[in-house]
Amino acid sequence: MKRLMGVLLIILFIGIFSVPLGTEAASRKDGRPDGGTLNYGEYGRPTTMDPITSNDMISLRITELVFNGLVGINEKQVIVPELARRWKMTEKGRTYTFYLRKGVTWHPRGNEKPKTFTADDVVFTYKIMMHPKTITPLKVRYEFIESVTKVDDYTVRFTLKRPILNALAKFSFKVIPKHGPKNSRYLSRNDPFVQKPIGTGPYMIKEITADREVILVANNKYFKGRSHIDKFVAKPFADQNIMTQALMFNAIDMIVLVNPRVIPEIQGDRRYVLQPYNALSYSFFGYNMRNPLLADKRVRTAFTYAVNRKEMLNSFFNNQGTIISGPFAPGSWAYNLDVQPIPYNPGKGKALLMEAGFTPGPGGIMEKDGEQLSLTLKVPIEKESEAVKRVVLAFKSYLQKIGVNIKVEFKEWLAWKEDVFYSHDFDIIFASWVFDDSADISSLFHSAEIGKGKNNFGAYSNPVVDSLIVESKLTLDHEKRRTIYRKLHALMADENPYTFLWTLTNYAAYHKKVRHVAIHPYKFFSFADEWYMPGGGR
Amino acid sequence: MLPVIAALLAGPGYAGDTPLERATKLYRMNHYEQAVKFREYLSSVRPEQKGIAYLSLGIFYLGNARLHGGFHEASVSVHIDYFKKISSMRGKDRSRVVNLYMAEALLEDGRPKQAALYLKKTIEDSGIKAGHKAIAKAGLGLSHYLRGEKQQAEAVWSELNGSSNPEALSELAAAYGRARLNERKPAELCEKALSMLKKSGKKPSVRVIGNTIGVYARADMIDKGLDLLRDADLKAFSYEESPDRNKVIRFYDPSLLGNLSMLYAKAGIVYLTKALDSPAVRDMARYHLGEAYAFLGMVDASGRAASALVSSAQTPARLKNSAKVRQAANLYLGGGKSKATGLLEKLSRENPKDPFLLAEILLACSSLKAECLIAAESASALTEADGGRRLSRINYALGRYYLGRKDYAKAILYMEAGRDKGNKNKIESNDPLMLIDLAKAYYSTKKFSEALEIYFEMSKQFEAVRQIQVAMQGIYSMEQKSAGDVKVF
Repeated sequence: MKRLMGVLLIILFIGIFSVPLGTEAASRKDGRPDGGTLNYGEYGRPTTMDPITSNDMISLRITELVFNGLVGINEKQVIVPELARRWKMTEKGRTYTFYLRKGVTWHPRGNEKPKTFTADDVVFTYKIMMHPKTITPLKVRYEFIESVTKVDDYTVRFTLKRPILNALAKFSFKVIPKHGPKNSRYLSRNDPFVQKPIGTGPYMIKEITADREVILVANNKYFKGRSHIDKFVAKPFADQNIMTQALMFNAIDMIVLVNPRVIPEIQGDRRYVLQPYNALSYSFFGYNMRNPLLADKRVRTAFTYAVNRKEMLNSFFNNQGTIISGPFAPGSWAYNLDVQPIPYNPGKGKALLMEAGFTPGPGGIMEKDGEQLSLTLKVPIEKESEAVKRVVLAFKSYLQKIGVNIKVEFKEWLAWKEDVFYSHDFDIIFASWVFDDSADISSLFHSAEIGKGKNNFGAYSNPVVDSLIVESKLTLDHEKRRTIYRKLHALMADENPYTFLWTLTNYAAYHKKVRHVAIHPYKFFSFADEWYMPGGGR
Repeated sequence: MLPVIAALLAGPGYAGDTPLERATKLYRMNHYEQAVKFREYLSSVRPEQKGIAYLSLGIFYLGNARLHGGFHEASVSVHIDYFKKISSMRGKDRSRVVNLYMAEALLEDGRPKQAALYLKKTIEDSGIKAGHKAIAKAGLGLSHYLRGEKQQAEAVWSELNGSSNPEALSELAAAYGRARLNERKPAELCEKALSMLKKSGKKPSVRVIGNTIGVYARADMIDKGLDLLRDADLKAFSYEESPDRNKVIRFYDPSLLGNLSMLYAKAGIVYLTKALDSPAVRDMARYHLGEAYAFLGMVDASGRAASALVSSAQTPARLKNSAKVRQAANLYLGGGKSKATGLLEKLSRENPKDPFLLAEILLACSSLKAECLIAAESASALTEADGGRRLSRINYALGRYYLGRKDYAKAILYMEAGRDKGNKNKIESNDPLMLIDLAKAYYSTKKFSEALEIYFEMSKQFEAVRQIQVAMQGIYSMEQKSAGDVKVF
């Protein structure tokens, strides 16, 4: 009897949760099965989950599941329709008219009836993104737009200030609903929307658990057809080793970025696939030039001479990476191959400090005008993996050898971002940048990008760099832009706003039960709606 | 083959870290450019060890030749793509010399007719310097000659008689060399160019070096060719054009890599031939000699070496099977396609669990652009049973086979399975030829950064790959479609 009741309960449960809430999107007619939950390991929890205020990779991966752009970029670098079904370019690239899909609906909130996506949402997204009070690193990317006009409910026109290279690709920005944010004028990190946003994408945010897991469920009304996998769960891990163990013991099915040290272990296990993806990232120590001591190029350069990058890469990452010489990754088209990394030479580092007016004081710490060369290094706690801990401690030790005192502070991710990007309360940070294929460093080093929530956290300012960046944005000539980037690379290598460290080997690892996996090299989950798990992944 | 060398080296005469041992270690790490420096120590090798020393050096050079052959193939293809894009640009800031370099890349690709069109454009362009026009004339003559238009060739070449431009002279010499007009003494022309440069206190440009080593290689003046490379900067660009203050285009000539490959292969033949005198290493030398001849397209000589191995009772079974694969490949190249395919199928059926032989067959098939379904199926079954990367060679062979068939997804799948992912771009841990092919597969699927990362690592050992990097960066910058995003993590 008990058994019969159990079966009835299961049937009832299935019945309740399979009741359609409205018109369902057609299942994909590709013959692949639906079902299953994909648990993936993340390095921390996202600060915000909307596509406008967020500037970290954890958020980006989630927004990729939740939102769509007007256009998308497929695996073959071809621009494809997303929310726009077609587009027209006129006036030699000065206007872009997008004809929107009809019948696309926003994820419902609670029991509300799903609202329809229209041109109003596109206009709204652009306006809220560009509002002076919206803190977003995206503004610099969209300043080329002069105006946006709703032509009708399903047509929207963008007028550009001037034609630019790759303009169409820039319309891949994610569209948010007009009825989404509480404040419809500008978006702040206090708006409830940024914590539990709704989009048009293949997955909807269902819940954020007490453990800060983000649970996403398939959007049955997704305009491209319902995704195969029922549920995605982003599980944050503060420790890389524990994340690896979670994969090995089947607690998670995927790691978005494998710790280089465990790659051989995973490769030796037949259950898993290792897939290389983003090659355009690098780690660095970044300096705050608001501190007058660090505003002196000689001091920053001295630090770079003092750091033995080769030794760190060998010792802490099994040499699984490449030392870099400037602000681009070696896999980028913009990398200047003529520029060599500054060699390890602590003697030269010390000499540069002396040249900058420092003299050894008590305990060997350098001093200038009675002030000790003592600085704070802030590291996000999510990066407190064993390897990173060793890197920052090695940095401290290298700098001590040239008379610099470094105080290391590990901070929780949100607090670290607050200190670095908002209150600018730090001397040095350890972090990494990840770029898309455009290798656009303008938001990192242009002086107009100094300010709250902007990427030029160190307040680096150089008129030559500014003018080169502007020229690179104005040109329609790829070779010219490339030449400018080579010049920027050489300048940055000389200026040392960061001590550029290395690019590490980037692999995602996933269980073989997940099939048809294509990973976007930057956005990661762009093609996840086509992944599937036979038998629900059991 | 290296375990055999290692075993031979383990003799009492090589206890300790001898130059040959050091070179062999470098070869094992795929540092061919370093390994071949053993040539400088040859004179100090004791007579009883000469055989193994020659064999080793021959193998080192052959490895380097194959690798540079791979670079050459990749460079030609990427450069044609890149130059196509550059030449399609219009406006006052457009490149003028791109037509010349496009023509040179097309000539390297065996397309003299198309090359001629670009060369004529260069010659007719009033904005082009006389030196470049002279180079174009040498190339145009060659493109006529290769198409059997000998009179037109002579007419164009005659305009270069008495040229005092060393680059043009070396270009003319290279054209004579490729046309096999040895009576024109191309080597002497090159030496004249070198001597002119020396007199004026200038170092030979990379174009002069590339042309000269090609001429020397064709004339079997191997030592002179190798000596010329000693101080050469192989990463140097051939020409830098600046149509605008902030627009600089660097042009490279892919023939440099082809000429390097040929020179190294011929050096390999020299030393492997010397190794034949030593009974202890004769079979091994003969096998590699056959491979070296085949690499240079000398099918008859390769066939003779393979036949000698197949007919000898002393030849070890594995070597004999490899020689059979070579025989079949030579037969295929000689026109006996169906018979050759049949032989390869027979070998595949008879040895379905021999990963070494299946890999040899698949690599031969990919070079021949032949379909070898049975070998591919057996190899695939073996890799599935293996699961890991123990069978990296066969994974590579399968990857290369599918790359040749333009099935990039399968090519990447197999090559990635065989790749040491912990050291994904390191040539010390991965066959560099596999890495070149993997880069090609990634390039073809527009995953440019993966391909560039591979070449970035390779450039640390082989500086001549700079030309591939620069051209590929150019394509990437034009092909990428991204919004300009950057995130912190």
